[in-house]
Amino acid sequence: MEDSVMESDPAEVSAPAPLHGVADAWESVTAALVSPGGSGPEPGLSDSLALLCAHGLGRLLGGWLLETLQMRLSSSVVPEFWSGLKQPENELEERDRAWVLLTAFRTLLDRLEPFLGGLERLGMWQEEGRGGLCGPGPRGLQERAFTIIRALLLFSPSPVLQERVLEFYSRTFSVYMNQEGQCWCQEALDQLKELSHILSKLQLLEWVSSEAVTSILHKLIEQRMEQHCRGEYECSFLLEFQEWLELVLGWLSKVFASKADADGTTPSIPCTPSAPSAQAGQPGSSILKQWRCHMHQFFCRIYVNMRIEELFSIIRDFPESKAAIEDLKFCLERTNQRQQLLTSLKSAFESRLLHPGVHTSDILTVYISAIKALRELDPSMVILQVACQPIRKYLRTREDTVRQIVAGLTGDAEGCTDLASELSRGDPVTLEMQDSDEEGTEPEDWTPDPTDAVPDKMGSKRRSSDIISLLVSIYGSKDIFIDEYRAVLADRLLHQLNYNTAREIRNVELLKLRFGESHMHYCEVMLKDMADSRRINSNIREEESRLGEEEEQPPLSLSSIILSSEFWPPLKEEKLELPPVVCQAMEAYTHRYEKLKAMRTLSWKPHLGSVTLDVELEDRTLTNLTVSPIHAAIILHFQEKSSWTLEELSVKLGAPRELVHRKIALWQQHGVLREEAAGRYYVVETGSSKEKMERGVMLIDSDEERDSNTTTQSEQREEKLQLFWAYIQAMLTNLDSMTLDRIHSMLRMFVATGPVVTEMDVNELEAFLQRKVREHQLMVSAGVYRLPKSN
Amino acid sequence: MKVKIRQWNGVASWLWVANDENCGICRMPFNGCCPDCKVPGDDCPLVWGQCSHCFHMHCILKWLNSQQVQQQCPMCRQEWKFKE
Repeated sequence: MEDSVMESDPAEVSAPAPLHGVADAWESVTAALVSPGGSGPEPGLSDSLALLCAHGLGRLLGGWLLETLQMRLSSSVVPEFWSGLKQPENELEERDRAWVLLTAFRTLLDRLEPFLGGLERLGMWQEEGRGGLCGPGPRGLQERAFTIIRALLLFSPSPVLQERVLEFYSRTFSVYMNQEGQCWCQEALDQLKELSHILSKLQLLEWVSSEAVTSILHKLIEQRMEQHCRGEYECSFLLEFQEWLELVLGWLSKVFASKADADGTTPSIPCTPSAPSAQAGQPGSSILKQWRCHMHQFFCRIYVNMRIEELFSIIRDFPESKAAIEDLKFCLERTNQRQQLLTSLKSAFESRLLHPGVHTSDILTVYISAIKALRELDPSMVILQVACQPIRKYLRTREDTVRQIVAGLTGDAEGCTDLASELSRGDPVTLEMQDSDEEGTEPEDWTPDPTDAVPDKMGSKRRSSDIISLLVSIYGSKDIFIDEYRAVLADRLLHQLNYNTAREIRNVELLKLRFGESHMHYCEVMLKDMADSRRINSNIREEESRLGEEEEQPPLSLSSIILSSEFWPPLKEEKLELPPVVCQAMEAYTHRYEKLKAMRTLSWKPHLGSVTLDVELEDRTLTNLTVSPIHAAIILHFQEKSSWTLEELSVKLGAPRELVHRKIALWQQHGVLREEAAGRYYVVETGSSKEKMERGVMLIDSDEERDSNTTTQSEQREEKLQLFWAYIQAMLTNLDSMTLDRIHSMLRMFVATGPVVTEMDVNELEAFLQRKVREHQLMVSAGVYRLPKSN
Repeated sequence: MKVKIRQWNGVASWLWVANDENCGICRMPFNGCCPDCKVPGDDCPLVWGQCSHCFHMHCILKWLNSQQVQQQCPMCRQEWKFKE
């Protein structure tokens, strides 16, 4: 229809004379349309209109008006607007820039208002069907006009507009949020109102301001978050932000509100009865609703982003950072960033935690915090399982992991007290794969795994949230833990002077709840040995004192811990010849024991135990020293002869020279012995002050007092592997040659008892076999192992 | 110099005075206990026969109870008599 406009104009001009009245009529009608006055229908107008319609020109009116608008826009209004906006170059102050912006829009409105009014009027005529007019009505016409305005005005917007608008909005925003009565604040708010008004009237609001408002909001939320939340994990920010967002919405309503009440405040556009004001109010509030959603979404996203970045620290501080975790949980459920969280957390673990510089106990502490924090964050445990996989894998490579965990469980470790308290909660370890028959939960309660769950066989049941179960399952077997605990327990018991085992008994009882009776059986026997030893000791001491009346007192008071060797972990064997006094006392003790327990005897471990003694020198006495038997033996020898060489001592003690050298250091530190030339040691009977000074400086490699008495895990493993050697030899004798995998699977099949094989992976076996090859006990060629020909 | 020992805490392990390491019946070490017991030593003692073979008491009693006709030492098939 618009196309026909172009042709219809010349057609009209070239119209024949009798239609002269038509030209007049056209003239008057168009003038009425464009006149700014918006006067009521003049009497002559209706006639003219009727005349036009009679000549079939009525339908061209709309087209003409729009065409004129378009011409006017492109020829003068738009250039005027842009130049008005740009005209004052940068020297202006912000306040003036705002003014310029507003003025530009004002003039724009002024220029366009007549057309809009005309359109309105024409639309009304059309609707009323005046003079036989028909057409799309005011709405349709205006719609078209606004499209034209938008198209021409914003066809190539200069960046100036965006800049100005952005600046203007951020200024009014800060004014609004601060509500301070500064210089031109009130003015700014008024300007805001007016601008919103103009824009909404021209239906440019969305096009001009959305972008600016969005970027302002984003920037502000980010800024506020940086200032308030970063590094603060101890209180929740959700509510605070909610309130703040409501405040921001108040400003938004100022920006967009005029759209809502536009119809009400501009009487120049009278409401048609078919569009009641209630309906007109709708778009404004729906826009606000939209903005609220958008802001909320945006807030969540920014918050999650920030917290993901900080998650490692949050986890590290966990019990204190619970509020942050809860906030994060809330927001994470509303954004789709789990994957991002997982990747970032994993890499944070890897870069900050899992390197050689971090102590195992620290890794464990963080892991425990992570378990606690992540099970808050994601009750399905999937995040925990996936994110902590690297930690578990890494811990498996650390040698002292088990010992640290056990130490934590027994409350020995400095760092992780959590474990001990966790242990006292006493839930059974759910490590063994329980068959599904004891599925306590209702099938109705089943919830599917999140999509990022690792599809493992066990499904959600396997994902235990129990800290101890998780730690124990690092190795996939309870037995390693029990063995290690046994070793730790043995150490503790042997280092104890009194036979007080209350704490150990408690621990064992708690562990029994976790690991089951049968696993802790050995430990129970160990504790019983302690109690038995105490009884036997007092028994023997009683007998001694009874005899003491007749015979002379025994030379030294000896008590003993008597072990049931089968139930204790293998103890380190060391040779040590004790001085005759001690040996005699031990013999006597054994004698009494044999009397007490028929057909049983004692086998002493001379290097184990502890000795309390006083050393009396000429000018001083060291009292109540507690030392190991070898220390005591050394100093006892010096009692009979005041100088010994290392060689002599080593022969006398039956211990290697290096060991004696190491142990003698203790006495040097105490200033009792002194090393002179040729490796000869002397007793220092009178300590001069010079000596004391030297002693202070002397930092002889002090002998690690709490040396473990039990063989280490790796040594025990070695022994166990040695056990397989017999199997391997037998297999190779029968089957001539085998590959590594074959040997491994055969061992799995035949040596099924005990946990040893299942724990031993192929690599370990390979290392073992390689060593055998180096020792020439085995030959390997092309991946096939065989025994060397014996002849 | 004089060294006065106040207290010497030694460590020893007990063992049965027997001429074998394992019980001939249950094949468990004597210093451990028979399969039915939890605690070694007093609670799971050894007994000697006149043939000088010895077993966990619980093991040999079980064995003797299962014998219908004659009570023999499972090792040497002599008649089993407890050594006094």
